[in-house]
Amino acid sequence: MNRFYQLPTLRIDPTRKKTFTYLGKTYQGVDGDTVAAALYANGIRIFARSLKYHRPRGLYSMDGECSNTCMEVDNIPNVRAENTLLKNGMTVKAQNVKGTPEKDFMGFMDKMSWAMPAGFYYNTMHKPASIWPIALKQIRKVAGLGKLAPDFEMTGKYDEIFPTADVCVIGGGPAGMNAALAAAENGLRVILLESRPWLGGFFEYRAAQYQNETPLFQRARDLAKQVADTPDIRTFTHTAMVGAYNNNLITAFQTGGADDSFDQRYIEIRAQSVVVATGCIERPLLFENNEKPGIMQIACAHRLARTYGLLPGEKAVFSIGHDLGLEAAIDLFDLGLKISCVADIREDGQDPDLVEIMRRKKIPLLRGWVATDAHGKKTLNKVTLSTLQGTRDKEFACDLLVASAGMTPVTGPLAVAQAELCFDNHTGFFLPANLPVKMHAAGRMLGLNDALAIEASGRSAGLLAAADCGSSVDTSLNEARADLENLPGPVKGSKMVTAPVKGDKTFICFDEDTTVKNIKQAIKKGFDVAELIKRFTSASTGPGQGGIPGHNLPLFVAQYNADPDVSAKPTTIRPPLVPTFIATYAGANHDMCKRTPLDALQKKAGGVFRRIGVWSRARYFSQDFTCRDEIENVRNNVGLFDASTLGKFRIWGPDALKALQRVYVGDMSKIADGKIKYSAMCNEDACIIDDGVVIKRGENDYYFTTSTARAGAAVEWIRYHTRYDGWNFNMVNLTDALGVINLAGPNARKVLAKVTDADISNDAFPYAGYREFKIKDTIPVRVMRLGFVGELSYELHTPSSYMPALWEILEDAGSEFGIRNFGLEAQNVLRMEKCHLIIGAESEQRTTLHDVGLGFLWDRTKTDTKTVGAFALKQTEKQDGRLKLVGFKMENSDARAPRDGSIIVDSKIRGYVCIARNSHTLNEVVGLALVDESLAETGTKLEIYEDECGDERLYAVVALTPFYDPDAKRLKM
Amino acid sequence: MALTITCPICGKRNGYEFRFGGEEKGPRPAEHELNPETWCDYVHNNNCAAGVQNEWWFHRDGCGSWFTIFRNTLTNLEVDGPEETNE
Repeated sequence: MNRFYQLPTLRIDPTRKKTFTYLGKTYQGVDGDTVAAALYANGIRIFARSLKYHRPRGLYSMDGECSNTCMEVDNIPNVRAENTLLKNGMTVKAQNVKGTPEKDFMGFMDKMSWAMPAGFYYNTMHKPASIWPIALKQIRKVAGLGKLAPDFEMTGKYDEIFPTADVCVIGGGPAGMNAALAAAENGLRVILLESRPWLGGFFEYRAAQYQNETPLFQRARDLAKQVADTPDIRTFTHTAMVGAYNNNLITAFQTGGADDSFDQRYIEIRAQSVVVATGCIERPLLFENNEKPGIMQIACAHRLARTYGLLPGEKAVFSIGHDLGLEAAIDLFDLGLKISCVADIREDGQDPDLVEIMRRKKIPLLRGWVATDAHGKKTLNKVTLSTLQGTRDKEFACDLLVASAGMTPVTGPLAVAQAELCFDNHTGFFLPANLPVKMHAAGRMLGLNDALAIEASGRSAGLLAAADCGSSVDTSLNEARADLENLPGPVKGSKMVTAPVKGDKTFICFDEDTTVKNIKQAIKKGFDVAELIKRFTSASTGPGQGGIPGHNLPLFVAQYNADPDVSAKPTTIRPPLVPTFIATYAGANHDMCKRTPLDALQKKAGGVFRRIGVWSRARYFSQDFTCRDEIENVRNNVGLFDASTLGKFRIWGPDALKALQRVYVGDMSKIADGKIKYSAMCNEDACIIDDGVVIKRGENDYYFTTSTARAGAAVEWIRYHTRYDGWNFNMVNLTDALGVINLAGPNARKVLAKVTDADISNDAFPYAGYREFKIKDTIPVRVMRLGFVGELSYELHTPSSYMPALWEILEDAGSEFGIRNFGLEAQNVLRMEKCHLIIGAESEQRTTLHDVGLGFLWDRTKTDTKTVGAFALKQTEKQDGRLKLVGFKMENSDARAPRDGSIIVDSKIRGYVCIARNSHTLNEVVGLALVDESLAETGTKLEIYEDECGDERLYAVVALTPFYDPDAKRLKM
Repeated sequence: MALTITCPICGKRNGYEFRFGGEEKGPRPAEHELNPETWCDYVHNNNCAAGVQNEWWFHRDGCGSWFTIFRNTLTNLEVDGPEETNE
């Protein structure tokens, strides 16, 4: 196909060829082509088959407003070929086709349409109910759009950004650009969104005159240059706005160009004020076979020629209802299109200049005529035109019918922003009646048609938005308004909804194959509101999101009902306004986690890492996931554990103690110098949420730890529960600033003694003691003698930057004893043998302090501190029917350990296993479980049910705790 | 999240940065004043106003302070005071 390569409006670069395949054959397009334009250039006219009837479908709107040109591109189905720029090597396939789009074996479905009235499935497929699953399978085979391969994996780069702006302008046409410039003139930061890959809107491709011999396209380029030269305007092109939420939060997604680092990115804009200037699309003309390939809208035909250099056909008929149609006819005629006839729905009111030019060029114009039928087996070869009343008709042979009933505003952005839209009789548009706060509409969508008026309207909206942001714009706003008043106002729109036809094959919704006949059927069934008819007939529920039927459906319903009290109401529109990949919403999907200061060292030591909460932690240090060697080395010798994830906090100030008293159940005024105090926090319901130790480092200066999981919430918790008191204290989260090494095992003291001069003998530094000293005279450590794993152990807290050095010093010092790492799983087993709890593992939301046997931590005498949970502790202390924490052993000594989380049953569920492991130390399976009080007595038999175990049960017996070292001698060695 | 919240220290910020802390119910009652009903009222029972309510927010990803704002629960917008209807 010959292309124009010299037009000044072109957006293609003919020198840069692009190769792609379509249905297995190789084709060439050029840089700047969309997939649809490239296919059209290669003579492809049928792009897809329709959802239900498998009717051939072709290029229609050029802006992706219907599924006609949804195609499979690089294995991604439902790609809008009209909006997707061609790339080298693309693989394109047609959708919903058995065979080829030209020869589709399901094409006979079109003759079956009589058998599928509106609501066909609802009415028939439930009698009997068992038919539906069978019918479903068959329907899915023939109906539907693209298919996604089950093993398909989305590739590509997806990103997200969250910019803020003073003013966000949606729509980069003449009104939008003027609005953006006006706001930027006032020193405001503007974001301008444009769905096409370039600015310019409906000026951009038109050669008609703007002013003083300047064509419109030149004006569009001048404005775009001004925008580009204004640093305060950030322009996003090829960016579709998809949602608007209150507080002027605008969401959009951008398709990346060749130089961008992303394929698509999600954009969430927070703006103080918003200008919507999305202009118009064309209202489809309703007549028989109105979607046959070869029929397209005005802008589609015009842009094919002007933007892509493609003459849309050879011999054309126009059936239009707007001056843009006359202008396009003249322009395309000049470019070489033969025009048999231009039928204008309007009997009068055309621009006399355009009519005069047509007369001079001998383009026949029929006023008050409209297309009523399109003929041709697959693509168009003949059109029937008739008078509006259908009294006379004429036929014309042609391969192109440019058909459009008139304009209709793109109200989607206003609708999702909850603006009220009312039908306006003069323009025939749905116009905003009640805009949300700080949102303005401008330009062609208000019914304006005059180029200068559209620009003035944009400018005035931009100034109003500037005023929203606090700019003083009175003078310029008055000027802009005066300009607008002196320019032509909204133009009268064409009122015609359907041509005089029966409507059997008159498609109101292309996506869902809904005809005018279907709508009539729905109305006859009693559906009287467009919103309900939409659902019953599925009109406007397809991927085009109401782009094609959005305006015609409510108009048709209102007209057909002929009830003067019922005004046309648009159906509800919801985000996303255009089809958007889930991948785009998901964004870059980076897996973020925290790493401890010892991450590199532990990886080098062979650590097997797992994501645990926000952290990446070494769970094992060998492929033996029972961790036998790690455990035995701690029990018999000495091990090193990275406990840096512990929550660590400093709290200080005159009222620090009061704050601690508020959240800890113990009496924190009784912390001895050089000692640690173990305590717990409960919530208001007495449920245990955290445990840890508190140290008094000085007057009104405390250091405390929380469990790993609570580290993020501790400051918030303490501040929340003291929010009314106005206490004077400070808190700082040291979790990441300090690291922790747990040196544990009977040889721990020997190792530590080698690296410090401090007296760490059992007398000088006993169990539950706290000391601060230096390692090798250099590294400051805060040392706690704790025994979480049940052995002599020192927990060393040191600034994170010292952690690797301290670790290596200890490893070095311990090498003569065979010191080695142990990971999280080893620690888990070690502490479980000793029955030390992990909050969250042996407790759940409803587990109280008493339930886990830590009631002794609660000091019931400190009633004046208003301790969080204290009142509920009183209430729940003796409460019946609670789940209690117990230890258990298996009934048969050779039984395996039940899986964590298995339930304990008799006739009902009586609790569950928190943790169970085969203990190498004890040489038997031991575990902890939360069980009904009635089963909590030592010696009670527990019946354990594992997921999918069938009739098999495991049996355990409640045992005395702790299992290991019940006299706690080893901690105190 | 379309909500914005005005932190007394950091100013108007994106709602993502905050954590909700429940309705404003006044200071903690003293322990000796409590019975199960009054405790339950204070801790669990809410007014769930359809309209403007005074409520607590925590600037989690910011200064870390707790403060109260007025929010219209019907529009999910922060408002200036208890009377404002945000129309």
